[in-house]
Amino acid sequence: MATDEELIAAVASGDGRRLEELCRRWERPLYQLIARHTGGRDVEDLYQETWLRVVRAARRFDPGRRFSTWLFQIATNLCRDWHRRPPPEPVDPADAEAVAGAPAPTDAVLDARRLLAALPEAQRSAVILRYYHDLPEEEVAAILGCPRGTVKSRLHHAMRRLLEMARP
Amino acid sequence: MTDCDDMLTTLLFRGAPDADVAAHLTACPRCRAERAAVESLARTLAAAPVPAPPLGLTWRLLAAAEPLLARNARRAAWPTFALALAAALLPLPAILLLDFYLVRAAFALLTAILPTALGAYLTFNYAATLALLLALTYAAIPIFVEHQVRLRRQESHA
Repeated sequence: MATDEELIAAVASGDGRRLEELCRRWERPLYQLIARHTGGRDVEDLYQETWLRVVRAARRFDPGRRFSTWLFQIATNLCRDWHRRPPPEPVDPADAEAVAGAPAPTDAVLDARRLLAALPEAQRSAVILRYYHDLPEEEVAAILGCPRGTVKSRLHHAMRRLLEMARP
Repeated sequence: MTDCDDMLTTLLFRGAPDADVAAHLTACPRCRAERAAVESLARTLAAAPVPAPPLGLTWRLLAAAEPLLARNARRAAWPTFALALAAALLPLPAILLLDFYLVRAAFALLTAILPTALGAYLTFNYAATLALLLALTYAAIPIFVEHQVRLRRQESHA
């Protein structure tokens, strides 16, 4: 089976089938990463934009790096930009009805979303990558472009903040 | 960061305590007091739903990526194209020199046996045909290179 790094090299020369293979391999983790970052909003747009950036920059991919680190880095940067955008216009009534028709999330689900949403962006990224994607601190540091010590400190501050918020 | 911070962060983000964390929890009353809160927080975070990608996501993405893939393919073909063009241009001076002598010989022969105006007209037609053949040959180079690149890619996929 071809490695991710071999597949991205083929994508750099315009190979659509290899891109499909790569997408299928990373579809779920990438989709979940973005969904957790944005609380489920604009996930498909950000997912697509991440892959389009991957295809666009495939020729510049450094084969000495792990593909997954690069992919998550692009997605995390896009999510960071997404959080900096001004809030959207009030929703269309039709959208509101569609949301109302969806199954109601449980209290625990709401709590988890609320807790994550309340974290500063840098801490939220560290928690998502470390906790939900089970990545080692070294890889989280590579994705976030900071030293390992900074990741540890962000995780610690995130934990303190979450404990405070979760306290009844 | 203290040892306690490290241990509690590990407990939260790794789930079940490993030997080091367990030993620390036994020995440290402060961390023991916080353990229940940390484990409760871990349970709350774990309750976050795992969003599933919608059907057809990859197909929509591949359709959107088509122009970018085509651009990548064109860029990847450039080195091959440049090499082929260089190889094709190498004999060009010799071809042009040969054509020049052929046209000159044709002109000399035709004007010797035909009226000058008719000889010049036929020589001009002969020169134009040679120029057209040359242009067609060099115009075929990009098509030939693209075909070769496609074949090579198909071979590598196979």
